[in-house]
Amino acid sequence: MKVVGARLPRYDGVGHVTGQTQYVDDVRVQGMLWAKALRSPVHHAKITHLDTAKAEAMSGVHAVVTWRDVPLLEYGHLSALGIPADEPLLAKDTVRYMGQPIALVAADDEDTAQAAVNAIEVKFEELPTLFDVRNAFDEGAPKIHQWGNWYPHFEGDMDRRQIRKGNIEDAFDRADKIISGVYRPAAIEHVPLETQVSLVVPEPDGRLTIYSCTQALYFSLAVVAAHLEVPMNRIKIVGGTVGGGFGGKVDTATETLTALAAMKANRPVKWRWTREEEFLVSSTRAPWHMEIIDAVTEDGWILGRKMLTLHDSGAYARFSPYGLTKHSFHHTGAYTIPNLHFDGYVVFTNRTPTTAMRGFGVTSISFAVETHLSRIADELGLDPYEVRLKNANRINDTSPNRIRYTDPSSVEVIQALSEAAGGELAPAYAGATRAPREGEMLPEHLIGQLKTEGH
Amino acid sequence: MNIVLNGVTVAIKSPPLASLLTVLREELNVTSTKVGCEQGGCGACTALVNGKPQRTCLTPIAAVDGASVTTVEGLGDSDHLTAVQQSFVNHYAAQCGFCTPAMIIAATAYLEGNGSSDREEIEEALKGHTCRCTGYQKIVSAVAAAVAETTFDLTVTTPSPNTVIKSGGQT
Ligand code: FES
Ligand code: FES
Repeated sequence: MKVVGARLPRYDGVGHVTGQTQYVDDVRVQGMLWAKALRSPVHHAKITHLDTAKAEAMSGVHAVVTWRDVPLLEYGHLSALGIPADEPLLAKDTVRYMGQPIALVAADDEDTAQAAVNAIEVKFEELPTLFDVRNAFDEGAPKIHQWGNWYPHFEGDMDRRQIRKGNIEDAFDRADKIISGVYRPAAIEHVPLETQVSLVVPEPDGRLTIYSCTQALYFSLAVVAAHLEVPMNRIKIVGGTVGGGFGGKVDTATETLTALAAMKANRPVKWRWTREEEFLVSSTRAPWHMEIIDAVTEDGWILGRKMLTLHDSGAYARFSPYGLTKHSFHHTGAYTIPNLHFDGYVVFTNRTPTTAMRGFGVTSISFAVETHLSRIADELGLDPYEVRLKNANRINDTSPNRIRYTDPSSVEVIQALSEAAGGELAPAYAGATRAPREGEMLPEHLIGQLKTEGH
Repeated sequence: MNIVLNGVTVAIKSPPLASLLTVLREELNVTSTKVGCEQGGCGACTALVNGKPQRTCLTPIAAVDGASVTTVEGLGDSDHLTAVQQSFVNHYAAQCGFCTPAMIIAATAYLEGNGSSDREEIEEALKGHTCRCTGYQKIVSAVAAAVAETTFDLTVTTPSPNTVIKSGGQT
């Protein structure tokens, strides 16, 4: 074995330490313009007036792009999966979050571009706002999205991601105790050291070369081509060197607009966000609202779980339906619960649209489940590791979406955690393995699932 | 105006209030100094000015007229890395690499000031440099190893999977 256990040099290490690694911002081309965006200063409003004439007339300004310049204004991040689009590339008549782009200016330098942005005349008629997912369902809640306040396009036109498994009422009837908790992790900004940036070069043959910091190159290619209504072979994206992403560079944030500005000016254009824009406008990890109600036995078995999740999508859907779907599959965490009743909603608010971040949709539920497991142990007066080891996934257990686990490592991970924390497990738990359940580890409520579920 | 950039005197045409960062990147095409925040918050734009680490985004070019400015382009090249550069490679102290040139500049100044391999002292010397990828441990280990001249050699080190790298605290 030459490789396993060996320390191999990173292929990009020498480039990093000599400053030779070329990030998007380091690419040099002749005649490059700088872009700046006009962004909504309010959270929710009608745009009643938009006039770019003064900005266009300024010297040094080469292009001003508004919604009128976008061939296909709305294209969703999940359109390729047949999910309808809801977000315009540039706001047309409505803004739904502070910082939403309304126009992009390309000019000789950043100061000129910013002066032109300031010269654009725009008027708003402010509308009521919604920031807390818990208020989205209220009768008098402001309607903030064209689809309503929550996403209505799950398969079969369902308005939620729903999981029903086993017999939930029976589980609650048999419970010794009902233990509930509410978990609300906040939004998190990815803060890559490299802010969002792209550089688009119109080539003499009519193609566009796009230098991008995207984490999802082919995905961006499809999104740009769709908005521009050009075949993909007209676009070449140069990527792969990312100054930190952590999921925040999965959304196609700058490429399409920069391309439109470059096409209109017929010059290379770079759009590099400021740190302030990165914090205020770039998508974040979503805030989540999760309510868990578990039916448990005195000795720490979880018989059933009812759960409600409200995923804060921000102003538009983007990847949130996908994130919530992953979340729903993981809503029992590393544990097996045979009777489930889960409803998850992708809720719209007047916040910056949220997106992927390391373990998209799953870190939220892991936080909630692990906190809840500790709460169960606490309320029952049991060892938190032993409660976990009882319910931990074993071979032949099934997930919420009825996948049979073939080789889960939950048991060993929990044992290692206990050891790292200096704990002492009772022999039954210290000796537990991932092997299929039997004996004391196969209580009655889990026998049924082994017979009837999985595939 | 002029500066002595990596040992070579260069004339500056940018206006006096242009930042040293903008001058380096846009006038002189020295791109190892990165634009991370332009507010003095991240450290990614750091260069040595007269031997001391300085945030170039907050430095008007007129304030450093005649000064000597060193960026990583002025340290070792890919065939002749300095001890700090080699240590960063070998200790995996650079992931995305965006913070790395500035970290190396700060570490180089630390070594030249006879800094010790004490982790807390290294942390103190590098504080104000944000890295979002590495979690800092490997960066501190790389600097400590460069000081102590214990940087392991990637080409000969083939530890068993359970070997703990003492200086890194990581397996
Ligand atoms: S760019 Fe200078 S400190 Fe961040
Ligand atoms: S290696 Fe990515 S910010 Fe430090």
